[in-house]
Parts: sequence; structure tokens; C-alpha cells
Amino acid sequence: MQSALDPASTDAARIAELWWWMLAVSTAVVVAVLALLAVALWRGRRGGQPTSPRPAWSMVLVGGVAAPLVASVAVVVHSIQIGHAIVAAPREPAVTVDVIGRRWWWEVRYQDDGGRTIATTANEIHLPVGRPALLRLHSDNVIHSFWVPNLQGKADMVPGQVNDLWLEPRQTGIFRGQCAEFCGTQHAFMAFVVVVEPEDDFRAWLRREAAPAASPESPLEARGRDVFLAGSCRACHTIRGTTATGRTGPDLTHLASRRTLAAATIPNTVGHLGGWIADPQSVKPGALMPPTPLPPEDLRALLAYLRTLR
Amino acid sequence: MPPDASRDILYETWQSPPGFLGWFTHVNQRMIGKRFIITAFAFFLMAGVLGILMRVQLSFPQNDFLGPDLYNQIFTVHGTAMMFLFAIPVMEGFAIYLVPLMIGTRDMAFPRLNAFGYYVYLIGGVTFFASLLFGVAPDTGWFNYVPLAGKEYSPGLGVGIWTTMITFIEVSALTAAVELIVTILKLRAPGMALNRMPLFVWAALIMAFMIVFAMPSVIVSSSLLILDRVLDTHFFVASAGGEPLLWQHLFWFFGHPEVYIIFLPALGMISTIIPTFTQRPVFGYTALVLSLVATGFISFGLWVHHMFTTGLPHLGMSFFMAASTLIAIPSGVQIFCWIASLWGAKVSLKTPMLFIVGFFAVFVMGGLTGVMVASIPFDLQVHDTYFVVAHFHYVIIGGSVFPLIAGLYYWYPKVMGRMMSERLGWVSFWLIFLGVNITFFPMHELGLDGMPRRVYTYLSEMGWGPMNMVATAGAALLSAGFFVTLANALWSMKHGAPAGDNPWGAATLEWATTSPPQPYNHRNIPVVHSRTPVWDWRGRDERPVVGGLREDRRELLVTSVLDAEPMVVQVAPKPTPWPFVSAVVASLGFIGILIHPIFFVIGFFLVFFTYVGWFWPRRPWRED
Amino acid sequence: MRDVPVIDASGLTRFAHRRHPLWWGIIGLVTIEMSVTANLIASYFYLAARAPAWPPQGVAPPDLLWASINVVLLLCSAFTMWWAGWGINRHSQSILTLGTGLSVLLASVVLVLRWINFTDLNVQWNDGAYGAIVWAITGFHFIHVASAIVGTAVVTLLSWRGYFTKQRQLGVVVDTLYWYFVAGIWIPFYLVLYWTPRLV
Repeated sequence: MQSALDPASTDAARIAELWWWMLAVSTAVVVAVLALLAVALWRGRRGGQPTSPRPAWSMVLVGGVAAPLVASVAVVVHSIQIGHAIVAAPREPAVTVDVIGRRWWWEVRYQDDGGRTIATTANEIHLPVGRPALLRLHSDNVIHSFWVPNLQGKADMVPGQVNDLWLEPRQTGIFRGQCAEFCGTQHAFMAFVVVVEPEDDFRAWLRREAAPAASPESPLEARGRDVFLAGSCRACHTIRGTTATGRTGPDLTHLASRRTLAAATIPNTVGHLGGWIADPQSVKPGALMPPTPLPPEDLRALLAYLRTLR
Repeated sequence: MPPDASRDILYETWQSPPGFLGWFTHVNQRMIGKRFIITAFAFFLMAGVLGILMRVQLSFPQNDFLGPDLYNQIFTVHGTAMMFLFAIPVMEGFAIYLVPLMIGTRDMAFPRLNAFGYYVYLIGGVTFFASLLFGVAPDTGWFNYVPLAGKEYSPGLGVGIWTTMITFIEVSALTAAVELIVTILKLRAPGMALNRMPLFVWAALIMAFMIVFAMPSVIVSSSLLILDRVLDTHFFVASAGGEPLLWQHLFWFFGHPEVYIIFLPALGMISTIIPTFTQRPVFGYTALVLSLVATGFISFGLWVHHMFTTGLPHLGMSFFMAASTLIAIPSGVQIFCWIASLWGAKVSLKTPMLFIVGFFAVFVMGGLTGVMVASIPFDLQVHDTYFVVAHFHYVIIGGSVFPLIAGLYYWYPKVMGRMMSERLGWVSFWLIFLGVNITFFPMHELGLDGMPRRVYTYLSEMGWGPMNMVATAGAALLSAGFFVTLANALWSMKHGAPAGDNPWGAATLEWATTSPPQPYNHRNIPVVHSRTPVWDWRGRDERPVVGGLREDRRELLVTSVLDAEPMVVQVAPKPTPWPFVSAVVASLGFIGILIHPIFFVIGFFLVFFTYVGWFWPRRPWRED
Repeated sequence: MRDVPVIDASGLTRFAHRRHPLWWGIIGLVTIEMSVTANLIASYFYLAARAPAWPPQGVAPPDLLWASINVVLLLCSAFTMWWAGWGINRHSQSILTLGTGLSVLLASVVLVLRWINFTDLNVQWNDGAYGAIVWAITGFHFIHVASAIVGTAVVTLLSWRGYFTKQRQLGVVVDTLYWYFVAGIWIPFYLVLYWTPRLV
């Protein structure tokens, strides 16, 4: 699902390789130390003999000073190389994404070349395969940490500063990410997916996301839109192209195109969506979305409308 | 005067008042040390139960045994209590109990301050756990990051209780630290030059210095947070120009040394126990001392490795990475000195030694994952995941708790006068050893598989269920192991074999007196000529001591810092309830701040008046 | 085993001053306080380094006049403390009483001046990070002066009742030590709070 040992980017692959090296050396060290200890204890069974200081000092200097020093230098030098590659920004980003940590979901904004926001979505980030993407990480509330283990190490979202993170996926696929810094009640279910796709697919997706919401086509859908706009939904949510411009919750302009709901907690199906609207607290206790009790007909209409937001 | 009569006077002079009310006036270091140890183990059990609750909650996906609110309170209290209410105080407790016996004096330099530190700790700890019973415990994690812990995102009582409790522990730890430093530097038996000090005493001394330099930064950070929450300042509020990362710098400047504060005394215990069970001096005394000192120094240059993901400049972080890996060298030197100490010796594998062998296995693994997480790129992956949870439990349980349990079995006969059961010790060791590995080893893999820390549950499709179930099973074994030792300690109080003065044949001075020691510790202050004084006296019929200290009042011999040459005599204070009264009013002041800032002023003056009562010279004024 | 006295402690003094463990204890307390001070000053510079302007736009640095007078008053109070100790070393209980009393008086003037001139800081404690740290440092020192005053007032009272002698003066020695710290620590605080915003 989400693993640091199943890398889908060059950076993640380098880190995984570093891990395997360190694991191998560490295993050898554990075995060596415990073997020495066993020999030390075993030799004494035949009766105590004094430690002869010269070989003992050699052992302390080799095992306690030289070996850790060599291993440390190796780890540090190699880590600096990898770390430098991770933080360096030598390239033009193919795409720049602002990701804002919210409680407890992710706002995702795409920018055009001029730095203007062209599309806003939530909990789902699309990236073109093989191209460098620059993620600018923000928070306006508590500290979160953005982490997609298959693609890259994590970076914190700290209020008052913007941290940059480069992602350069080298294979297509869907990768899950999750908040890694404790951020309050629903830290556990603050996840998202990264969809890596061919560049053409990505451009097409971005064009769709940038467009305003679809208009209702059937009377049921139209009634659903009225329910949305007349009720409490619009206070927190935006649907571009309508009068709903709330900023507290996720932008729903293309809700139906997303794979998940409630920050990658449940799949985006009609049934789950209905349950989430009616009683979010049973899905994600402590979530900031209040329950919205609706007459069954209204709920059916609302769901029909929301399913059109592709 | 006949020797028995003079001993009776000495006994009378140093005895603590009897009875329930008398309990509140005790100041003798052994009384206070024992209370610290017992209270700390009680908090350890309570925090351990919380750990079990967490493991039950996590044993399978989407378990609804604990909701997020309760789980968040529980992990916060578990972590905070283990660090602040167990690990530091238990090490202080051992040091307070043992150091005066080991350096051959009758008490610590400031007995009343000792008592004050204990009461402050007790009140703080009880208040903290009580908050969990009332459902208002802090729920922001043991490192309590702002802005989550700020007023806006944590409006309730919880964080206030955390900052208050931290203040109590700061006060208690700092009093103990000054107490230990002065006692170790000034009250050693004549002849115990610095280079003859037992290694546990060295470790306690360095721990105390580390507390003095590390604790103030958490004093400052928690005070600034209190100001933010109570007086509306904006130290940590980004929208008003504050800096959330200031908290992290201040907290970890304390928090990293803190790990070594609880680790160094454990190393001192190992260096003290190994020679006893090999019956020859430890190998590389000077190297071991220098390693302790080096560890203490380096630990102040590592704090940024807790902040590798916060977006600091890479070059600067690389310095901290290098420093962090360097700590492997003093650790390695000590490990190999101990192996050299064991090499070829006829080792008696009693329970204390079993736990030390267990220490080698568990701690070395934790140390190696420590080098791994010091690597910036690797840390970017595993930071704040279960890999780190595995790492620090290996280090802390392996590095601190194993030696601590070894120390418990080792010094219990001295404290209680009876041996603990070897058979139960053996059972306990294997349960704990297997339990630790089964609980925490799978967590390495969970972390690499992407499981973050501090999640109250997870989706079943994540695939983390089976390994979490294994970890929970391991936790059951682990807790069974600790309960066996607890039962052993309780059972042996009445039924253990009588210990005698020196059941293990050890070389240090705490074994040169009765078990348990008399109120005056040593009948006469011994004079020391080597690192192994008790072995020097083997087979002799006389030993050198100090004469001329009065028996009818509490006199301590003050010696010089380096060579321990007699200088002056300190007249130590008698039992008194003032430290207790003072701790109570100080607590009222601190806890009152949660209600209104005016309690700071009230507490200030109340504490002042109790100090006047505490220090006021009683007539007749001393003339000689 | 028989204990053989080889060292006789009966001739050692029971009235140590600078060799008494309590003197070392106060050194320990001062070390802790210095660490706190270092952390506060480090926090000040950290916040300053991260801020776009320090002090913030539209905020003047704290006024110099009364704070500078307080430097002089505190140094004078340290001198009167020294004089008090000099007196008791010459068996003069009246110099001791007068000296410590004068110190208490001078420090009380400092507190009163500070209290009525808090507006000199030109910022409120809840006006962002700058105001917060300036007030926190000022308040930290204020509380320490207050503690030193009440403690030394007790020393003065005991001195007036004739408790202290040339021999029995440990209380005076350690109180003086702490007083030097409280008076002296104002100088780095003064330089940081009052001069760095003007110079940087």
C-alpha cells in the first residue's frame, strides 16, 4: 500500500538502497558483538584468567573506535550525497503544486506557469510520470507532515513557512500517502493518494479540474444542487460555477472524479458518500464536518447532483 | 565512652521520627531515595498499563476499543510519564539512595531539599495521572508541539496540566541534580580521589551536570507556552510573528540530552555490577569515565536530528547528522571494555548478570538503528513512524531498563536486607527479553511499511494487522515479565534469604555496612586507598576510618573536590515538616495558574514564608 | 573487623563559609539560572533572526533612561552587599544590618521604577513575538529582584536581632552570592533588550 521499501522514484530508491546497506552492516555488527560476548563468557567456564591488556585494548580500539568511526563516516558521506540530491532544485518543475495541510485533509492547488491557481482539489494529487514536480507545503493551523513513502521522504508543513518537496515518480500507479506529524484528533485518517499517469493523461485531467462544475441535467440533479446551495453545505464548501464559495472544507467542484472520500478514508461510492454526509462522526470521529440530517428524497437528489461533478 | 553507647547516640541522632506524622518530616537520603524508587516504579506500572491499552487498541485494524480522544490522551500520558515520571526519577532515586553509601558519607549535602524535591515530584505525578481519570489529560504527545498545544487548538485543561507537571519535574530534577553534584564533589570519604570514584558515582555526577544544563531549556519552553496560554503572548503563534520551531529547538535541546540522562546512570550500573560478578576490577576505568563524559558532551549537539523534516538547511543538518553518528564511538568503547572485563573471567550468571547480557543484545540493536535514523535521507522516510518507536524502545528498554532491573536485583539485598528469588528472576528475565523483542522488532518493519506513529487505528487494506497482532502478544509477555519481578520484590521482602552485609562479594563501599544500612549509613567514615576498598579489607582485621565526628548531632565530613582531603565539617539539618509544607504550597501556586495568573503571586509569597520557616535558625544558636 | 581512626576530624571547623556545601549549592543554583538566561537570550535572537523587522515596524526600542538608572542602582546595591559582608568580617553587626538594609532599599527602588515605567518598553506583551520576549525577560528579572529582596530582608532582620557573627555568617555569604547574580544578570539583559535593537 505505502512502503518505503517499494520505491517508485529515484530518490526513494536511493533511500531504500541505503537502508539495505545499513541493515546488512548492522546485522554483521550485532552478530559480531554477541559472538564476542558469547566467547568471553564461554572462555571463563574453564576458570578465571586475567585479561591480558594488550589484546583487550586492541579489541576496544578496533571494535569501539575504529569500526564505528569508519561506519559513521561511510553513513554520513553517503547520506550527504543522497540528501543533497533530495533537497537540490536544479531543474525547472514540470508542475508546481501547493499542498495545504488542513484538519484533517489536504487541500491541493495547481498553478499555471504564471503562478496563478488554476485548479483546486483535495486529498488527491495527480503527477506526470518521469517529470519533476515541485510541491510547496503549507499549513495555516497546526503542523502536519507530507509523506508518500513510495516516492519520497517526508517534509513537515509548518505554519509561517513554506517547505519545498520534489517528487519525480519514475513509474505510473497510485501511491498512498499519510500525515506523519501528530496533528490532533483525526491524525490517523489524514491520508491522500498520488496518481502518477502519463503526461497526456495528466494534462487532460488538469484541464478537467480547471473547468467549472458541470450543470445539472435532470430535474433530480437540479433539485440536488438546490439542496446543496440552500442548506449548510455551501458555508464550508466551494463548487466553482455556483454560489457555493465556502473555504473551510474541501473544494467539491470535481468531487465525483476523486477516488476517495474523507481524506482517503473511504472509497468514493454513492453509498459511502451518503453515509459520510449523513453522519461523518461515525466514519471519522472528531472530524470537523457536522452531520447533515436530510429527508431521504433530498439526500437522494443531493447524491445524484454530487455524482455529476466529474 | 564504650562503643555500644556511642553507637546508640549515633543511631538516636540520625534516626527518622516514627509514626504517620513523622513520615512527613523524614529527610535522610535513604528514606527519600527509596521513596523516589518506589514511586517511580508505581508510575512505571501505571504507564505500562497504558501501553498495554494502546497495544490492545492497535492489535487489529479499525478497532473501536478506544476512540481517538482517549487514545490520544493515553499515548501522551504513557510517553510523558515514562520519561518524566519514571525514567528520570528512578535514576535519581537510585543515585540518591546509593551515592552517599558508595562515597562513604552519612547523608546528602542538602537533606531537606531532597525531601522537598520528592514531594514536588509526588504531587506533580499524582495530579498528572489523576487528570487521566477525570478525562482531561493532555492529548498532544509527550513533545507537545505547538501550535497544536497552543490555546487555539488545545483550549481545554490538558496542555495546562502537562506544562504544570513538567514544571514540577523540572524543579524536582534540578534539586536532585544540585544535590548530587555537591554531595559527590564535596562529601566523599577521605582518599576517594576523583579517579577512585565508583563508576556509578561518575555516571550520577555526569547525569546531574546534564540535568543542570539541559533542564533550563524546557523550563523556558514550557514557561513561554504557559505565557502563551495564560497571558495571551504570541511566542509560538505564527500569524502574530511567533515561531512554532522555537518550541522544537528548545524542547529538543533538553529532549535529546534527556535520553542520555536516563541512559548514563544505567551504564554506571553495568560498570559497577560486572566487576562484582567477575570478581576483578572493570577493564578500562579511565576509558569508561571518558566515554561517559564524551557522551554527555556530544548529547548537547544532537538536538536537530529530531527536526530533519522541518525544512532546515541541509548543510546545517549534516553537522548534526555527523555528531549523531559519532555517539557510536563512546558507546562502542564501553561495550568493548565490558566485553574485555568479561573475557576469560569466571562469570557468575546470577539475575543481575542475565539482565546485563540481555542489555548487550537489545541495546546494540537499538544503537544501530540509532545510527540509521541519524542519516538524514533515511530519517526522512522513517521519522515519526513505527520504525522510530521500535528504535527508541530498544534503546530505552535495552539501554536503561535492563540495567535498571539488573540494579534492582543487585541492590535489593542492600536496601531490604533480603535476597530476591533467583528462580523468579530467571523467569522474569526470559519473559522480558522475549517480550521486548516480540513487541518491538515487528515495529521496524511496520514503520518501513508506512505506519506513522500516534495513529489510533488504521485501515485493514494497509496490511499492518498481523504484525500489530504479534506486537500486542509480545506486550503481554513483556508485562508478565515485569509482574514476575514485582511479585518477586514483594515476596522477597518477607521470605527472601537474609542477605548479610555483602552477599555478592562486591568491592564498593555500600557493601561495607549492614543490610539494610543503619540510619547513619556507615558506623565510621571509612578512609579509602583504591577503587576497590572492600576488597582491600578482605582478610584484614582492621580498616582505617575517620575519628572525631560528633555523634550527638548530624555531622558530615567535607572533603576537597579532586583528592578528597578532609577540609571542614558540615552540620546537617534535622528532620522537619517544612519541605513538605513548602512543596504543598508551591503546588497550589503552580496548579492555581491553570485557574488564574494571580496564583503565581500567591504561590510566590506562600513559598517564601515556608522557606523562612525552613531556614529560620532555632535557638539556642549553635556556638561550636 | 576493627575500625582504626587514622584521621581526626574533631579539629576541623564547623563554621565553613566558602568551603561549605551550601556555597556550592548556591553556585549550582546560579548555574541553573544562567542556563535559563542563556536560553531566554537565545530565544530572543532566534525570534529576531526570523522576524522581518526587529523591533517590528512602528515599534520603538525600549526607552533607555530608567533602565540605565536601574543598572547603576543595582550595581550600588551589589556594592552595599559587599560592604555588609566586609562589616561582619570586622565584627560589626551594625554595618551588616545597614548594608543589607540599604541593598534591599535600593533594589526596592529598582522594582518601583520598573513597575511605574513599564510603558517604557513601548510594546505590550501580547503584541506579537517581540513584545512577548521583551516582557518575558523583563518579568523574569523582576521576579528575581523580588526574590532577592524578600530573602535579603530576612537576612537583615536576623542581623538586626544579632544572629550573625564573624564566624556564623554562612547565610550572609550565600545571600550575597545570589545577590551578585541577580544584580549582575541585569547587565546582559539590559544590553540585549535596550541596545541590540538600536545597533542592529
